Amino acid sequence: MALLEIKNLTLYIDTGDDTTVKALEKVNLTLNEGEIRALVGESGSGKSLVVRCIIGAIPDYWSIKADRITYNGQDLLNMSYEKRRQIMRREIAVVFQEPTSSLDPSVTIGEQIEESIPPEFIDKGWFWEKNRQRKQIAIGLIHKVGIRDHARYLNAYPHEIPKDVSQKIMIAMALASEPKILIADDSTRGMESTTKTQILRLLVKLNKTKKLAILFVSHDLLAITSIAQSMTVLYCGQTVESGKTRSLLKRPLHPYTKALLDSAPSFQVSLAPKSPLVALDGTIPTLQHLPAGCRLGPRCPNARKECVQVPAPRSIQEHTYSCHFPLHMPEKLSTKPPRMAQGLTATSYEDD
Amino acid sequence: MTKILSVKDIRYTHTVKRGVFSPLQVFELGPISFDMHSGETIAIIGNNGSGKSLLAKALAGAISIDSGTIEIDTEAKHAQAVRMILQHSKDALNPALSIGSILTQTLTLNTQLSEHQKREKIEETLVRVGLLREHYYFYRHMLSDGQQQRVALARALLLDPKIIVADEPFAALDPSVRSQTINLILKLQKELGLGFVFISHNIGIVRHISDRVLVMDKGKVIEQGPTKDVFIDPQEPLTQKLIQSHFAMVEKHFANL
Repeated sequence: MALLEIKNLTLYIDTGDDTTVKALEKVNLTLNEGEIRALVGESGSGKSLVVRCIIGAIPDYWSIKADRITYNGQDLLNMSYEKRRQIMRREIAVVFQEPTSSLDPSVTIGEQIEESIPPEFIDKGWFWEKNRQRKQIAIGLIHKVGIRDHARYLNAYPHEIPKDVSQKIMIAMALASEPKILIADDSTRGMESTTKTQILRLLVKLNKTKKLAILFVSHDLLAITSIAQSMTVLYCGQTVESGKTRSLLKRPLHPYTKALLDSAPSFQVSLAPKSPLVALDGTIPTLQHLPAGCRLGPRCPNARKECVQVPAPRSIQEHTYSCHFPLHMPEKLSTKPPRMAQGLTATSYEDD
Repeated sequence: MTKILSVKDIRYTHTVKRGVFSPLQVFELGPISFDMHSGETIAIIGNNGSGKSLLAKALAGAISIDSGTIEIDTEAKHAQAVRMILQHSKDALNPALSIGSILTQTLTLNTQLSEHQKREKIEETLVRVGLLREHYYFYRHMLSDGQQQRVALARALLLDPKIIVADEPFAALDPSVRSQTINLILKLQKELGLGFVFISHNIGIVRHISDRVLVMDKGKVIEQGPTKDVFIDPQEPLTQKLIQSHFAMVEKHFANL
């Protein structure tokens, strides 16, 4: 069953001068129980915006429109503030980008971890017993994420510890409330391969032993393909393709997914050293200058006239894509009237 | 293939003083020796805190080494022959100045060119790195990540260097922009015979574009050799670990197919 489900999420950002931009447009995302799903996209594609919409950390000048955002069947959008906070505190945990800047520089690591333990977990009577129990839990947590030398780190300040350790500390803090979902926002950015493997192994272990569902937000394809069972590719605020990692890797249907996979030199077997890599021209457009229709349009190698319309998502065996002219597909088949993704009707895709 | 750089037994000691009574933290770099030929790419890999960035700075002349020699086969000054691209190209550009003035500064400080010649040189370089002449008037915030990286590259190329040293040039870039930058560097290398020294965590890229690899640990080069040999038969445990952890992930990828 879907633990977290997002249907047609559109995020409007008010730019001030009576205009709004659609930072996210009709994003669909489902996270099933005990699944690791990767949310892939380059910077500026709105990955972190999706995360912020889920946790509800949204400033006043943003507004959300969505068919639904549900957690475990409960509607997160029409929920009272307290109830939502409760869920965010106990059920969904987020590890933010840049651990060194998300940790409080003026407080020791130990205190920060202890702070993140919910009060319900402390059942001892007197305050000294409570403090000791809290400390025990904190030590247990950082052992769990693979740091053995707890004495050294609990009394340290964030600037004194290496980046990969602070990443693990952030994961430990997220795990303190024993959540059902862990959202890891770019956890392996800028790490060398040995520490990266450690973090990934830790996430897989948590997923296996605790049935923790993980939304792994990243653009590191190597990391994603080694841990995620399914992935959703985001480009410029639109979901371009989603499905099982295996089928996406085997047969990417969207040109963008293909370009993304081709950009990793390790994935190509017959690539001569120093030969030029395949890359799309140009860069991801800024929010002020979004192209109409399919936002890959100007960069897409097989863009045509039809691409100024937003393509409706179609799906073949849980592999959903949004493209008028998908790869690996005979022309006739792809121009047939679209078979709608599950639960969607044609009317919901007409322009609003 | 002519030898353009020879580094002999360079040493550098970096001391950090934390508090009045706490002991000095000493980091020793070197001794390090290696040679470089024209058109060659050398990759430096290693764990965090192994002195990779210090070595890059020492090569570029940003820190003065304690002993040893860095010889470059050129009449130009060291600072002109070896140019550096900094880790965060975005933060290395002054937001208050236009790209033109940023690049002009480099020329004013290092050459005797007239205003007109400077202007010509800058425009020529901008075009070479795949930007437009009009970008002369642009400011940092008007450019995308990839374009900023190109400006950083243009600044390095402006003085016609023999060698470019880059500290994690690809880490902050997105996959598609990264491929574009790699292609650009490969192209420039072919055209100008540049030597390219870079630090990277991305073993896939190291394998793809480098001719030789230096593996560093605790300030020492523990292993060096042609990329192919190092990747096929790594000698040191650390190298093996770095390479294996990368290939373990690649294998998982292919297992998925």
